[in-house]
Amino acid sequence: MDKSLRVWVESEAGRCVYCGFCEPVCPTLYPGGHRGYGPRGRVNIALNLVEGGKPTEEVLKSIYSCLLCGACNLVCPAKIDIVSVIRVFRALMWRTKTY
Amino acid sequence: MLDPLQIVRVVEENMKAHGLPFPAPREALYSWAKPLKMPDRGSPMLYTGGLYQITPYIMSVVDSLSKFEDLKLISVALKASRLLSTLGLSGLVVRPRADTVSYVENILRSIVELLRKAGVNVAYGYEDDLYSGVLLYDLGLDELFKEHAVKVYKALKSREAKTIITVDPHTTHIMRSVYPKYVEGYDLEVKSYLEVLAEAGLKTEQQNGGDVVIHDPCLYARFEGVIGQPRFLLQKSGFKVLEPRRSGRMTYCCGGPIEGLAPKMAKTIAKTRLSELSEKHGVIVTLCPICYANLKSVSDDKVKVEDIALLLGGREL
Repeated sequence: MDKSLRVWVESEAGRCVYCGFCEPVCPTLYPGGHRGYGPRGRVNIALNLVEGGKPTEEVLKSIYSCLLCGACNLVCPAKIDIVSVIRVFRALMWRTKTY
Repeated sequence: MLDPLQIVRVVEENMKAHGLPFPAPREALYSWAKPLKMPDRGSPMLYTGGLYQITPYIMSVVDSLSKFEDLKLISVALKASRLLSTLGLSGLVVRPRADTVSYVENILRSIVELLRKAGVNVAYGYEDDLYSGVLLYDLGLDELFKEHAVKVYKALKSREAKTIITVDPHTTHIMRSVYPKYVEGYDLEVKSYLEVLAEAGLKTEQQNGGDVVIHDPCLYARFEGVIGQPRFLLQKSGFKVLEPRRSGRMTYCCGGPIEGLAPKMAKTIAKTRLSELSEKHGVIVTLCPICYANLKSVSDDKVKVEDIALLLGGREL
């Protein structure tokens, strides 16, 4: 994967402290059915796979179902730019065809 | 939910073949403007980015995808659509509803009339009013997005645009906050027509508009700071603006951005939002074609969803 973007995703997503403040405001968490459909889940999926792991079908659904609406960005106490983490992770996966 | 990678491939192939993410005729983007006789070059230039115009096609595609999602036949359907797209036969598979096409074209004409009344005579690029590429960016198709963004910028510059006036939140955000990072030397000033009208002073006859509840689109409210302007304009036109439980920066998404990937999930989210809005009032004002389409698709005859441009232009409730 593109090194500078990968490093950026790692540094941004790595600041997640698992507090879960982002989850109540996420519109996709409830209809998605599990935490992979919420911001905390997505950020940590990106963190775990940005090194190049192969995403499962469910991981792809989690990452591509993000609305990029930014509700989570507003409430994250660590000020993680969650929207950009998800979008850049999509770009990295597509560029490197890791799926 | 549909297979995301298949959807991304369909979008990529359609963009490469037609310059649009979904199968739609190119002239659908600018045919609405011909009766208005706007100059074809100059500044400020109205730049729609095509989102309003392709919304009826998106609604038609989403409607089909929802049926296939239920039948688990989506893989076959997507392969068929990719084949038809490649053969240039995409017009055969997507037929938008005529009333929706007419609705979005009236919105665009109303925006031009409102700008004229406010003393802002816009130029328009017609064939160069190209799709902004916002979906490519959102899906992470960065190389294709960059290539497309440069093409759009050159087209606007060739029409002598210095300031562009945008009509929806997605295009406003992509042109103002994203293009500068992807297009070298980007120097266009970008304003939403709502910002322009609020600055210029809306010239409209005071209506006894009644009550409306406002739905803030995420990109205007959270990323572009367009929150006060629509309220100011509606109030100036005689409407009483009611706020839902979640509004302004704390607004709640309509679900629209994933309607092509996860139609059922998008509908569930839209129902939640529609319920929040309609508990305040039965007339909902939207500022974005995607919000309009998604909320409208789950509304019944007790609720009216209307675009702000039509209300400001004098449409009666």
